Amino acid sequence: MTNTESFENVVLELRRGVIVLAVLSQLSDEQYGYSLQKLLSDQGLEVDQGTLYPLLRRLEAQGLLESVWKLEEARPRRYYVISAEGKKLLPKLKKEWAGIVSVMDKMLA
Amino acid sequence: MKLINRYVTEVGKRLPLVKGRKDIENELRSTLEDMLEDHAQKSDKPADEAMEVDLLKEYGSPQKVAETYNQTPYLIGPRMFPFFMMILKIVFAAVALGLTIATAIQIMTQSPMTAIELLSAIGKGILNIFSACIAAFGNIALVFALIERFAPASEFKLDEEKEWDPASLKKEPEPTEVKAWEPIFAIVFTFIAISIFNFNPQWLSINYGDNNMWFIGFGDFAAGQKGSIPLLSEAFFRWLPWINIGWVAEIILNGMLLRTGRWQASTRLFSIAIKVLQIVIGYFLLIGPSIVKVTAESLKAIEGFDAKAAQILATMAQQGVRGLIALIMFLIAIDIIKTVVKLIRQKSSVGA
Repeated sequence: MTNTESFENVVLELRRGVIVLAVLSQLSDEQYGYSLQKLLSDQGLEVDQGTLYPLLRRLEAQGLLESVWKLEEARPRRYYVISAEGKKLLPKLKKEWAGIVSVMDKMLA
Repeated sequence: MKLINRYVTEVGKRLPLVKGRKDIENELRSTLEDMLEDHAQKSDKPADEAMEVDLLKEYGSPQKVAETYNQTPYLIGPRMFPFFMMILKIVFAAVALGLTIATAIQIMTQSPMTAIELLSAIGKGILNIFSACIAAFGNIALVFALIERFAPASEFKLDEEKEWDPASLKKEPEPTEVKAWEPIFAIVFTFIAISIFNFNPQWLSINYGDNNMWFIGFGDFAAGQKGSIPLLSEAFFRWLPWINIGWVAEIILNGMLLRTGRWQASTRLFSIAIKVLQIVIGYFLLIGPSIVKVTAESLKAIEGFDAKAAQILATMAQQGVRGLIALIMFLIAIDIIKTVVKLIRQKSSVGA
C-alpha cells in the first residue's frame, strides 16, 4: 500500500463517523438527497452519492430520519427530515463531538 | 433521459431483493435528473445524450452503485465466522473419524479380500470422507448464510461478548517445563520399538493363511499359516545397531527429563546430538539399498494377489517408505532448529 493510499484510507475512516452527525445536523429542514449533498458541499463537506444515499436509508431504518415523496417540477423527490428520535439524539451527539474535538485539540497541540 | 432510465433499470437488476427496491430506483432517477439539469444549467445548453453519458460515467457503473446499497455483503459475516469455523472443524473431524471407522469395519467384515479389492475399499473410503466433508461444508455454510441473512447479528451473543474474566487466562507455561507424561510416553514407546525391531522382527511382516486371508503384522509361523513375507530387508537390519544407539540415547534423555522436570542446556544439546544421529542414519537408509523386503515377486506368491496388484503394492511400499524416511528426516531437522532456537533463548534469558 502506498503512502497516498494509506492517507486516503485514514481520511475515509475519519470522515465516516462525522458524516452521520453532519447529515443529522442539516436535516432540521427537509431536504431531498441531491439538495442535501449540495448543502453539505457548500459548507465544505464533500460526500459522494454512493455514501450519502445508502446512509440516508440506514438512518431512516434506524428511526433517526423520516422521508416523504413529493411531486415537484413534474419530478418526484424524496424529502428527508430529522425525526423526533433523531432530534433527541442530536444534542448528545453534538456534546460527544465537542468532547472529541477538545481532547484531540489538546492532544495535537 | 433514455440512458438514465436504462441505467436505473440496470442498477435495479443488481439491487438486493428487498423492500424499497423500487424506492431506490425512483430516488436514483430523480437524483440523476436533478444532476443532469444542474449540468445543463452550468454549461448553458440543453441536456443532450452526450451530457447524459458524462453524468452516468461520473456516477459510476450500475454494479458499483448497487453495491453501495447492499446491506449484507457477506455470505457469513465476521461476527459469525469464528463460530462457523469451529463448527466446521468439529464436523470435519467427526465425519472423518466416523467414516474411517466405518471403512475399517467394512474391510474387516468383508475379508478375505484380494489386493485390488482392499485398495479399492480404501480408495472408496477416502473418497467417501472427501465427498462427505464437501457436503457437510455446503450444508453448514448454507445454514450460516441463512442465519446471516435473516437473523440480525445483534441477536447473537457469542463468547467474546460475555463478561470476560481475566482469571480465565491459564497460567503461561514455563518454556523449559516438561510434563511428566511426555517422557514416560516416549520411554514406553521406545522400549516397545526396541523390543519389536530387535526381538520380534517377524511381527513386521505380511502374513497369509488359508482362505486367501492376509494381513500385515504379528505373523506367527507356528499358527499354521501358509507363509509370511518380512517387511524389512537386510539393509535395515544392518543399520539397526545404530538405530538402537539412538533409541537408547532417547530413553536416557527422557529419563533425565523425568528426573529434572525441565529442559536444561545440557539436555537440549543431548537432544540435538541424538537428532543429528537420527538424520545421519536416515540419510544412509535413504541412499542405500531399499529397507523394504516386499517385492512384486514375493507378493505374487500369496494366493489372491494378481501380478498387477503385486506390482502396484510393491512399488507403493518401496517408494512410500523412502518418502516416509525423507519426511521423518525433514521433521527431525525442523525439531533441531526449534531446539537450537530454544537453547539460544534459554541462554540469553539466563544471561539477562
